Amino acid sequence: MDRLYLILTLFLLLNLAAGMWRVLRGPSAVDRMLASQLFGTTAVAILLLLAQLYEREALRDVALLFALLAAVTAVAFVRRLWQSHEHK
Amino acid sequence: MLFDALLGLLLLGLAWLLLSCRDLFKAIVLFVAFGLLMAIVWVRLDAPDVALAEVAIGAGLTGALLMSALAKLPVDNPPGRYSNEKTHWLLPLTLALMLLLVASGLGYALWSLPVIAPGLSGEVAANLEQSGVSNPVTAVLLNFRGYDTLLEIVVLLLALLGVWSLNSLDATPATAEKPANLVLDTLMRLLVPLLILVAAYLLWAGANSPGGAFQAGAVLAAAGVLLLLAGWRLPTALAGLPLRLALVAGPVAFITLAALTLLNARLLELPVEHAGMLILLLETFAMFSIGVTLAALFLGQRPQERGGSA
Repeated sequence: MDRLYLILTLFLLLNLAAGMWRVLRGPSAVDRMLASQLFGTTAVAILLLLAQLYEREALRDVALLFALLAAVTAVAFVRRLWQSHEHK
Repeated sequence: MLFDALLGLLLLGLAWLLLSCRDLFKAIVLFVAFGLLMAIVWVRLDAPDVALAEVAIGAGLTGALLMSALAKLPVDNPPGRYSNEKTHWLLPLTLALMLLLVASGLGYALWSLPVIAPGLSGEVAANLEQSGVSNPVTAVLLNFRGYDTLLEIVVLLLALLGVWSLNSLDATPATAEKPANLVLDTLMRLLVPLLILVAAYLLWAGANSPGGAFQAGAVLAAAGVLLLLAGWRLPTALAGLPLRLALVAGPVAFITLAALTLLNARLLELPVEHAGMLILLLETFAMFSIGVTLAALFLGQRPQERGGSA
C-alpha cells in the first residue's frame, strides 16, 4: 500500500511539472491563473497522500489550509486584475 | 528519494523562471506556485508549523497582495524595455565572479557543518513538561523564547504604522469596488465563517500539534482580505478607537504579562501551573491583533473614520 501512495505522489508531482507548461505558455492570464489553481488542488492531494504515508495528522491541517486559501488568490485575481488586464 | 529530487529540481527551476520573467502577472502566478512547492518542501523537512505559515502567508495573502498592487500599476507598462540597453561585457563577468565567490563560500560553510547537529531540541524536549503545552514549537515561541514573539508582534505593528504614515497625506478616495455578484456573495457567506472557524481550530490545536497564533492570525487575515476584496469596508464608527484597540491587543497583552512577570524579577517566565492557560490567552490576543494587522496592511491605507479626520 505504501508503495502505491509513493507512486501516486510522484505521479501528482509530475502532473504539477506538466502544469508548469500552461503557466509559462499562457496565452491568457486566465489560463495561467487556472493552472495555478490546479497546482493548489494537486498539492492538497499530495499532502493528503503524504499524511497517509507517514501517518502525520498535522499534514491534513496543511491540506485544509491549502484548499481554503486557494480561494483568496482566485478572488483577488477576479476582482482586481481580470477586467483591467483582460487583453493579456 | 525520487520525489524529493524532483521537488528540489522543480523548486530551483521555478525560482529561476520567477526571477527571469518580465511579465509581472506571470511572475505573480509563478510566485504563488513557488509558495505551494515550498510548503511541500517544509512538510518533507518535517516542519509542518512552517508549512502552515508558508501556505497562509506565502501562497495565500502575498499572492492577493501582489495582484492588488499590479492592478494599481499603469496597464501600458512596456514589458522588457531593459532588454535594449547595452551593457559593458565586464559587468556580467564581474557579477558572475562575485556570485561564484558567494556560492563557493556558502558551499564551504555547508560542507564544514557537523553531520549530526542536535541543536537545542534535546533541551526543549527535556523541559517540555514545564511549558504548559505539548507542541515543542509553541513551547519555544510562547514560553521559552517569549520575548522573541513579543518583538515579532511589535514589528508587525510598526510595519502598519509605516504604511499608514506614508498614506496619511494622500487624499485620493478609496478605489470604488464593483458590487459583489451572486457567486462572490455566496462564496463569502460560506467561506468567511469557515475561515474564522479554522483560525480558532488552529489556535486551539497549537497547544499540542502544529498551529498557533501566527498561522491562525494569517487565516483570520485571509477572511478579512476576502471581505475587503468583495467590497466590504470597516464601518466608520469602528475605524477609530475600536480598530486601534484591536491592533494593539496582542502587544498590550504581551507587555502586561511581561510587566507582571517582572514583578518576580523573571521576565516572561511563566509560572508552571498556569503556563498552559496563559499561553492560550496570549495566543488569542496575538491571533486577533495579527489578523487585523495583516488585513489592514492589505488595505494599504487608513480606513475612513467618522468625521473624515483621517
